[in-house]
Amino acid sequence: MTAFTLITLVLVGVYFVWLAFFGLRRHRHLVQGPWLFFFRAFFPNWKFYHAAGKAPRLYVRAQGADGAWGDWQRVYARMPWRAGHVLHNPVVNLALNHQNLVDHLWSDVQDLPEGGDIRERATYQLVTRLAHEAVRGGRWGEVAMLSAPSPDAPHFQFELRMDALLEHDRLPVSSELVLQSPVLATWH
Amino acid sequence: MALNLAVRAFELLLGFSLALQCIEYLRISALDRVNDWAILRKEIPERPRGVRALLDVLLTPRSYRILILLRLALAIGLMSGGLGLSGAVLLFAIALVLLLRWRGAFNGGSDFMTLVGLTGLLMAHAVGAFKGMDVGWRAGLWYVTLQSLTSYFMSGWVKLLHPSWRSGRALPQFLDTGIYGPLAPDSAYRKPWLARGISWTFTVWEGLFPLALLDVRLAALFCAVASVFHFLVFRHFGLNRFFWAWMTTYPAILWCASQPLG
Repeated sequence: MTAFTLITLVLVGVYFVWLAFFGLRRHRHLVQGPWLFFFRAFFPNWKFYHAAGKAPRLYVRAQGADGAWGDWQRVYARMPWRAGHVLHNPVVNLALNHQNLVDHLWSDVQDLPEGGDIRERATYQLVTRLAHEAVRGGRWGEVAMLSAPSPDAPHFQFELRMDALLEHDRLPVSSELVLQSPVLATWH
Repeated sequence: MALNLAVRAFELLLGFSLALQCIEYLRISALDRVNDWAILRKEIPERPRGVRALLDVLLTPRSYRILILLRLALAIGLMSGGLGLSGAVLLFAIALVLLLRWRGAFNGGSDFMTLVGLTGLLMAHAVGAFKGMDVGWRAGLWYVTLQSLTSYFMSGWVKLLHPSWRSGRALPQFLDTGIYGPLAPDSAYRKPWLARGISWTFTVWEGLFPLALLDVRLAALFCAVASVFHFLVFRHFGLNRFFWAWMTTYPAILWCASQPLG
């Protein structure tokens, strides 16, 4: 083994040891700044594995023309699996992207400065569109966003909740309200 | 593994992965009624001046479609082996525009690994323009390998630090949230001993991934397990882009592992 090879191996070893001791710490605000936010895909992220236990979920309800409110329904995609999706999976990827918006809204709520208005955030406005789409009978491909949409409802409302991943009878064992929108008018 | 074989396999897999993404993007444009550019553009910083205006031009529905078609053509060029420095620069630039279009990431980790592949490609051609393509590809493949190994290593050790992953409790909970889920009530993954065994197997395998560099046969084994792992992730979470984005890095890992130590 040459000295060059030995030095290379030592450097690679030091790199992984450094990662084990420093890289694994949580750096909540490591990636900051508007441009860094857009280019955060250049930096690896392991938040997914830190998040075991709870996750943000979107709930919506619609108000009928008679003023009566329907039940809260969760907007969360469940799709039938097909092997061919490994090659072409736009519908599932879009549904995952929509759930990412919900996750980012939760993150924006946590980072909102004193006196800040969440309604000004793009995530709030995009999730409003998602909630509206769901209420009006929107679909992810063949799958309806809601089991009981209200296409003619004049008003709707959405909630962001932090749900336990652990479920009992298909319901989260705990569900904590994070944000409730005002009553919003539907549009065409 | 010979360098030219690793390069060809890397180009084929990266081109295929990009082409697959492009075809999906084209379909998604027609399906998505939520991600409105009129809202998204407000998040683009005002400085440097002109960036938002440029994006407004590039991201009209028609221009966006042309951009994706151009990316598709470049991906096919990459698969054919005929892509040079200008093509690599264009692919990288389009990737940056897509990050701005999708609030920094369309699909999280697969965007990260696709960028790693594109950066490795750009590095290979940029270094190659000055030092020859042989040196360029060595730099590019080593970059891709270190990023990929880091990714596996970190996700293994992050899981190791979490009691819920060590006990196996996290596994069925995560699988229940999968887009193709939830798990059946009598799913084998709900058996605590099996969930703990699977969690530990994948955690240790990921955490030890850097050892793949020691021997090409070891690297082949690690990559084979990785393929199964990513297919299972696709099977439960629908992340087909992850599967292909990580597969792209395996020729680089195999080539690096086959380099003699002496």
